[in-house]
Amino acid sequence: MTRIARVVLLGLVIHVKHLSRNAFDVMATTIWPLVYATLAYFMFRAGSEPEALLLASLGATVMGIWSITTVGAADAIQRQRWAGVLELLVAAPTPFWAVLLPITIATSTIGIYALVSTLLWGRFLFGIPLHLEQPVIFALSIPPTIVSIGLLGFVMASVVVRFRAGWAVGNMFEYPVWLVTGLLIPVALLPGWAEPVSWLLAPTWGMRALSGAAFGDGTPLFDIAMCLVLSVAYTVIGAVLLGQFLQSARRHATLSLT
Amino acid sequence: MSAARVALVGGLISFRGLFGWLHPAIFVPTLIVPPIFQVLFFAYLGRAAGLESDTFYVIGNSIQLAALPGLFAISHAINGERKSQTLAPLLASPASRVALFLGRSLPVMAIGLVVSGVSFTFGVLLLDVELPARALPTVAIAMVATAFSCTALGVAHAAVGLRVREMAVFSNLVFAVLLVFCGVNVPLDDLPGWMSTAAQGLPVTHAVEAARDVVAGASFASVADLLVTELAIGVAYLVAGLALLRLFERDARRSATIELF
Amino acid sequence: MSWESRRLGPVNVVEAVDLHRTYRVTTGAIRRRTHEVEAVKGVSFAIREGELFGLIGPNGAGKTTTIKMLITLLIPTSGSASVLGHDVVKDARWVRERIGYVFGGERGLYERLSALDNLRYFAELYAVDHRRQRARIDELLDLVGLKGREHERVEGYSRGMRQRLHIARGLLHDPPVLFLDEPTFGVDPVGARELRALIASLTEAGKTVLLTTHYMFEADSLCDRIAVIAKGEIVAQGTPQELKAGVDAGSVVEVEVFGIDQLSVERVLALEGVRAAVVEEHEQKQLLIVQTAPGLELTHAILSQLNGTSVGRVSSREPTLEDAYVQLVTAA
Repeated sequence: MTRIARVVLLGLVIHVKHLSRNAFDVMATTIWPLVYATLAYFMFRAGSEPEALLLASLGATVMGIWSITTVGAADAIQRQRWAGVLELLVAAPTPFWAVLLPITIATSTIGIYALVSTLLWGRFLFGIPLHLEQPVIFALSIPPTIVSIGLLGFVMASVVVRFRAGWAVGNMFEYPVWLVTGLLIPVALLPGWAEPVSWLLAPTWGMRALSGAAFGDGTPLFDIAMCLVLSVAYTVIGAVLLGQFLQSARRHATLSLT
Repeated sequence: MSAARVALVGGLISFRGLFGWLHPAIFVPTLIVPPIFQVLFFAYLGRAAGLESDTFYVIGNSIQLAALPGLFAISHAINGERKSQTLAPLLASPASRVALFLGRSLPVMAIGLVVSGVSFTFGVLLLDVELPARALPTVAIAMVATAFSCTALGVAHAAVGLRVREMAVFSNLVFAVLLVFCGVNVPLDDLPGWMSTAAQGLPVTHAVEAARDVVAGASFASVADLLVTELAIGVAYLVAGLALLRLFERDARRSATIELF
Repeated sequence: MSWESRRLGPVNVVEAVDLHRTYRVTTGAIRRRTHEVEAVKGVSFAIREGELFGLIGPNGAGKTTTIKMLITLLIPTSGSASVLGHDVVKDARWVRERIGYVFGGERGLYERLSALDNLRYFAELYAVDHRRQRARIDELLDLVGLKGREHERVEGYSRGMRQRLHIARGLLHDPPVLFLDEPTFGVDPVGARELRALIASLTEAGKTVLLTTHYMFEADSLCDRIAVIAKGEIVAQGTPQELKAGVDAGSVVEVEVFGIDQLSVERVLALEGVRAAVVEEHEQKQLLIVQTAPGLELTHAILSQLNGTSVGRVSSREPTLEDAYVQLVTAA
């Protein structure tokens, strides 16, 4: 158990290091959240709800975290393959889920760049005040938000490894998850079935925790707990799926296919 | 091989071979599903902000989406050729550059039109948007014009791609500019002045305006000049793109950067 | 250094019994067709403790597929394999803890990380006791001659340095068995020589090694025993000396030529007593290599068939492992 914990922790450090050393990855991470923050700013300013600007800024941030996670998780395996490392990782005696899991969390961790840049962008370009009602709880809700979103990416990575064009699927889940998790659009505006779906998705709770702490309303602690519950569920689901996949990959020789 | 054949055959072959985007496993998750959801997302965002009607967002986004293949497919093709190291032999071949790149852009333009049409249709159906039937032909013409102008922009941006190492970041940036500047989701009047001025020189802007006017009751004749402007902008980007291409290629050869990538 | 002087244990450390592996290949994007390709068809061999065993053969002969089955990445379609007496399919985890795997080429490392980070990461994945990790990594950096460069990012490394880092990575958990898949591929001559010395030192330290390579002199100088694999089957097995003796001892005539045509080669081939003639392209010249039957002196006859071609140096020699190899794989 402590061994798995060590593998996961070191893996996280190593992969965050590796990812954030690519200036372009980091740039690509921050462009879109800024774009959405800008659009949201113009739309909400032009519309009737100017007080929603900080909320929009937070929403754009979580959008950015999800965006980098879904795209990154969908080709997490592919990137290891391109680096020629995939077979080495699989051939190691450590269970593969413990290898892949920190890779996807590292991807969502890069989203911190998006968080910082979006809040600063809003603050300095549009004068959106960065006033947080409960700064400590706000800070506390960042890690569970990032980890749970990263683990949702882990589930995705475990599913898409079966498909050769899995990398292309990353984009596909970007908008739908933004749409139903209440980041910029209140879930109440959507058709009725959207709400129960949103409960299963980590960005919903991460957004609630962050905005609850920022505005001093809602139940941020409960939302953080929900992030953690979902994290455990995602880990189990991903690990089971991945075990199945690897067995089939060894049988069908799909591991090193590029 | 004649220039026309280089264009057509070369375009089709590289299109199939290098990114195989025609395969549904890639086409659907990249060029069908995200565009439909982009339309839905902004329509709902508009509702949340209490801003414009669903029609506004369906038209704006579906027309802007014609740029998606133009920007990403072409940059993907260039990157693919770099990765498979076929770019150098390609540029070393005696084939006409203009034919080479125009050929590559023909199927891209067709796909841009498909992306626009599909996202428009789904947007209309899913959001229950009511449109006057007589406006539809003009909307379709606006889409064709945008597919052309955006592909032309794609060629210009591909030429820059011979210089820029991280094409994906650059493509994203251009796509984002079109999304923010061109009145797709925010009316031009609500944007800062410099943005709406810049939008006059970008593809998408005029076609979107024409389509919205016609849906609001204007006649085709009254928006014809907007559509002509859209096409003219396309021609300008195409000429600039081909000129840049010639310049950068000569430069890349001199400084040996093609192989480097 | 030579194989006789080393004591080989009686135990078979690696054993392959009638291994088969079939791939399903799909062609066509729209109308998809599937057919099966037999990459490995019935490969058997055994490697003894402390032995350096070579697996050589042309591209696509099944070398890498065979290795991937042995290191648990692929499940054999039929047949079985074991490492240290444990089945590679059933006891995959047990086997993985005791083998090292190193392949050639530039890939397989995290480019934007330092050598140290790469090694630390794999040390953790291979469950190297964390209290001993640092010391072990130091020891290995020393062994592969990367001490002092370990904080630099791998992207700045030369091919040879990367390859040595690969070997260090494969040795992290001190595995008794090592699989080296073309470890000198693409490394410059000096770097390759250093690597060969390193590989030779591994068996001296008691490791059992399976090595694949394209370079015959490499196999000749390093390996205790060699299996030649062609088209998925083992066509010969033995010590390098035995394999060379197996080429029914003819001799080899080599002629430097400038601009030889196919017709001349065919005329040479048609000569009585000529078994094979191949042309190797060199920078400004070609080398015509003719294998002849024993007891014949054909140099003059060969030269007389080259009229019109300008000829450089001419030599004749005894067969090398490469000649044996060429004969074996062309016959397969």
